[in-house]
Amino acid sequence: MSEKIIEGVTDALNAEAVTAASQGEPEWLATRRAEAWAVYEDTPMPTTRLEEWRYTDLEEKLDLAALALGSAPAIADDPAAYPAEVREAMDADHEASGHLVMVDGHVVHTDIDDSLAAKGVVLSSLKAAVETHPELVQKWLATEAVPATEGKFPALSAALWTDGIFLYVPRGVRLDLPVRVTRYYAEEGVATFSRALIVAETTSQVSYVDEILGAEMEKQSLVSTTVEVVTQDGAQVQYVAVQRMGKGAFYQSHQRTLAYRDSTLDTLNVNLGASVSRVDLNAQLLGPNANSDMLGLYFGDEDQHFDHNTSQDHVSPHANSDLLYKGALDGKSKAVFRGIIRVHPGAQQTDAYQTNRNLLLSEDAVADSLPNLEIAADDVKCSHGATVGQLSEEELFYLQSRGIPKQIAERLVVMGFLGEVLSRLPLGGVVEKVTRAIDEKLHGPALLD
Amino acid sequence: MSDTPFLTIRNLHASVAEEELQILKGVDLELKAGEIHAIMGPNGSGKSTLSKVLAGHPGYEVTEGEVHFQGEDILEMEPDERSQAGIFLAFQYPVEIPGVSIANFLRTALQAHSEEELDLFDFQDLLLEKMELLEMDPAFAERPVNDGFSGGEKKRNEILQMACLQPALALMDETDSGLDIDALQIVANGVNKLKEENPEMTVLLITHYQRLLNYIKPDFVHVMFDGRIVESGGPEVALRLEQEGYRDWKEAEAAG
Repeated sequence: MSEKIIEGVTDALNAEAVTAASQGEPEWLATRRAEAWAVYEDTPMPTTRLEEWRYTDLEEKLDLAALALGSAPAIADDPAAYPAEVREAMDADHEASGHLVMVDGHVVHTDIDDSLAAKGVVLSSLKAAVETHPELVQKWLATEAVPATEGKFPALSAALWTDGIFLYVPRGVRLDLPVRVTRYYAEEGVATFSRALIVAETTSQVSYVDEILGAEMEKQSLVSTTVEVVTQDGAQVQYVAVQRMGKGAFYQSHQRTLAYRDSTLDTLNVNLGASVSRVDLNAQLLGPNANSDMLGLYFGDEDQHFDHNTSQDHVSPHANSDLLYKGALDGKSKAVFRGIIRVHPGAQQTDAYQTNRNLLLSEDAVADSLPNLEIAADDVKCSHGATVGQLSEEELFYLQSRGIPKQIAERLVVMGFLGEVLSRLPLGGVVEKVTRAIDEKLHGPALLD
Repeated sequence: MSDTPFLTIRNLHASVAEEELQILKGVDLELKAGEIHAIMGPNGSGKSTLSKVLAGHPGYEVTEGEVHFQGEDILEMEPDERSQAGIFLAFQYPVEIPGVSIANFLRTALQAHSEEELDLFDFQDLLLEKMELLEMDPAFAERPVNDGFSGGEKKRNEILQMACLQPALALMDETDSGLDIDALQIVANGVNKLKEENPEMTVLLITHYQRLLNYIKPDFVHVMFDGRIVESGGPEVALRLEQEGYRDWKEAEAAG
């Protein structure tokens, strides 16, 4: 006689916690959580025997059993009460259509331009949206984009999410300025499940910048984020996530973008912080002339570990996707990129590209790059490429021969290398912030601004 | 032209850093401020290596000898310190730096040369002035350094950098290689204009062919062979080489 051991069920992460999370929620949501939990129990913990997890050993990198659920109280909606990093990040921002501030999993502030609110634009906490916009949330939350059945983490997130971000842009409404989300995680030894749900209706337009900050942590915390982006016919969405959390954190983000006919859905994932960073991004091209630029940038130092797992699903014919992920790695840091372009049967006239480039700045840094293609149509243009290179002695000598000290020369080369990514999605303020953050990681005297 | 020693190279030996291959086998050379010298020699004679060693290329190791520039021993200096001291190497094969604009690159370089904070407007004025002098389109400054440039564009970019950094000593490593006659004239005109602007600038031309010397007139011509300077003289040396080649030295070498 032996009791069945269910992988990933711990003192904190269990069926009681799901019931507790469902308190006061409508029945459909409580049911959805319970179903997600059942999926979680039935799904084995990913191991390195799975191709998608071959280079990130969860047994070694994530001590799920040691994690409690977050219990930090919500801070006041008062800038004076915000962590200094949040204030600094917000002060450095350019103008915005609206803001949302989330601290340790609690949404503590939201604002949206009055004229946009009058047009029906919604920026709110996901919890609140369950009450105010139940039909939209019920339709899109953990359904077509990232359902619980996607995997162990999506199931856990769908069962135990505490709050998140809801952004809705009605038909034909265009936001000139980005929506800015600033998140901060400092509570140690906990798992926090946040979600973002972005729905852009037909011919609407919005840019969304999610800045994820955090304190250095002695005890590991899991910051799990599930991102669902829906771009209806002819709509344009830019989604940007800039992760600059403190060391000690395990950042896990599962993202899926749904791009319908004539829509443009571009994403940029910048990963600079946390000890472990795992991003799963799946772009679905679901209608003719759908377009997705998928950009990524990472800079590692010390013993940071980055794992980017991307896929481009060309379901519809006549759609385009273009992925460019670039990273520089210093210290003993490690990066894995695994990407696949899947051209589904009948998806003729697909244009799909995938490029991953890595620049190693130290002898101990490692980059593994695994691009892949799976093509079930015959009239397509697809390509993939991957490189892992080192700082070239000739480049450095050339710069030094003009009087530029070696350290600054290295920085110039690194920024030139990574800058290509930022220049393709130059949203106000992001380029400057990311440049400054990389500068800080490279140490040494400040570059010219 | 003054009589103070400007650049003194004595018994310079250098080899490729990671191999035991010796390339410079005792170079002696003296340049005075404001002079134009040319070093000619066959492929493999070590003339390009000499320019790289003077600029501090990490791929070469100096095993013997000394180099004094304006009275200072430069062999222990980093390449950037040599540049800041006034040495400029125009590369035979300029290096591509993707993602870094010429303007940003030059601004960073000029900042490194300056003790004080470089004023952005002063920099832009200087850059525009030098581009005008060299008859270059201002849009050129926004292009990434040498990335996708033609051979001629790369060489003009070298001259632009030289114009902005205003070195005391310009080492020009096979600046004429890979250029058609029009591009060669443009580049040579550029060098001559800079020399006019700053007559004290000393120039060391490394070249394989006489034709560059039709456009930039040297005061002295040296012949390099097998890692040494084997003959020095006036411009007539270049003309004779054009006629006779390096036959005498090759024969001597063959005879042992």
